[in-house]
Amino acid sequence: MPNGTLKRILDVGCGKNKFPGAVGLDRNPATDADLLSDLNRVPYPFRDSSFDEIRAVHVVEHVEDVIRFMEEMHRLLRPSGRLYLVTPHYTDSGSYRDPTHRWHLNSFSFYYFTEPRDYGFYSPVRFREHRIEIRLLKLWRWLGLEWLVNRSRAFRKFWEHYLCYLVRGKEIHFWLDAIKPDTWVGQGLACPEDRRRAPAGNT
Amino acid sequence: MPRILDVGCGRGKYPGAIGIDRNPATDADVLCDWSRGYPFADSQFDEVRLVHVIEEVPDILATLAEVHRVCRPGARVVIVTPHYTDHSSYCSPTHRWHLSSFSLWFFSDKPRQYSYYAPANFRERRVTVTLLRLWRWLGVEFLVNHLRWFRRFWEYYLCFVIRGKYITFELEAVK
Repeated sequence: MPNGTLKRILDVGCGKNKFPGAVGLDRNPATDADLLSDLNRVPYPFRDSSFDEIRAVHVVEHVEDVIRFMEEMHRLLRPSGRLYLVTPHYTDSGSYRDPTHRWHLNSFSFYYFTEPRDYGFYSPVRFREHRIEIRLLKLWRWLGLEWLVNRSRAFRKFWEHYLCYLVRGKEIHFWLDAIKPDTWVGQGLACPEDRRRAPAGNT
Repeated sequence: MPRILDVGCGRGKYPGAIGIDRNPATDADVLCDWSRGYPFADSQFDEVRLVHVIEEVPDILATLAEVHRVCRPGARVVIVTPHYTDHSSYCSPTHRWHLSSFSLWFFSDKPRQYSYYAPANFRERRVTVTLLRLWRWLGVEFLVNHLRWFRRFWEYYLCFVIRGKYITFELEAVK
């Protein structure tokens, strides 16, 4: 992100806690949304590569089609734009408390967008895994297990396979960067002012 | 005589109730697709029962709104559904939702921070969790059902080991 330009942030499913400075998208008029749109219907009302960052906090577990949602996130992000995604771990009671949660996910749930070896044929879009963090229930955090789980990927895998029904998770935080050709920048910004703000040399 | 509606009554219709189901091989009095709405006028029933139904509907919020519509003010609503740690929650491939004993909390009058989510208003009269027999014998079920904080603790820390079976929600329609 070059200096002196405004970072364009989209808060998808912003609810009543829209991220400061972000454009809020939600389907419920009782929220802080700037734009009302049903998140199950793509495309969302923005052009390609419109955002530097997209925040989807407790959203993906509600959408009808996770793969289509991720493809839409990829379309809206500029190359290397960052998707910040938060969702309950499937062992958290919160994953089951909300009767609109369709999907119960784990920390490897977006694997085939980042390491497409086995299931890459599900979707052509690609993200780079910047960071994944697990939050555990308070007791386990105090006992240092959260630190361990987040310290190494191997231990996180061990935790997912062997421990997580006892040492239960709470939330998973994903930071994923969109992999797409640089030539996409500047072709689809939302309005002419944005075109002026677009980083020079990237188009 | 109270008017009772048994939604998705199957073959075990509640005695004295009007049964609706979409399958003609059931005890239904009225055949309709209960996932879309009920063919009754507003405020008709003193009691509405959904026994092992809401885990199959396409949209729980819309279903509860429809139940609210056909309820008289103060009507009793009984909802039974598997707990998400019970194997029966995963047995049927038609189960769309895996729920906990706090899943209908949104609709009751306490946590109104989510009222924008679910406008249908119900008062929670009682929530009962049924555990597997072993845990019932050991008295855990009694604790879960008599201490709300313990039910919460059980949901967060214990229920993948001390597994639940089904949850019975008793709500009252507020309108």
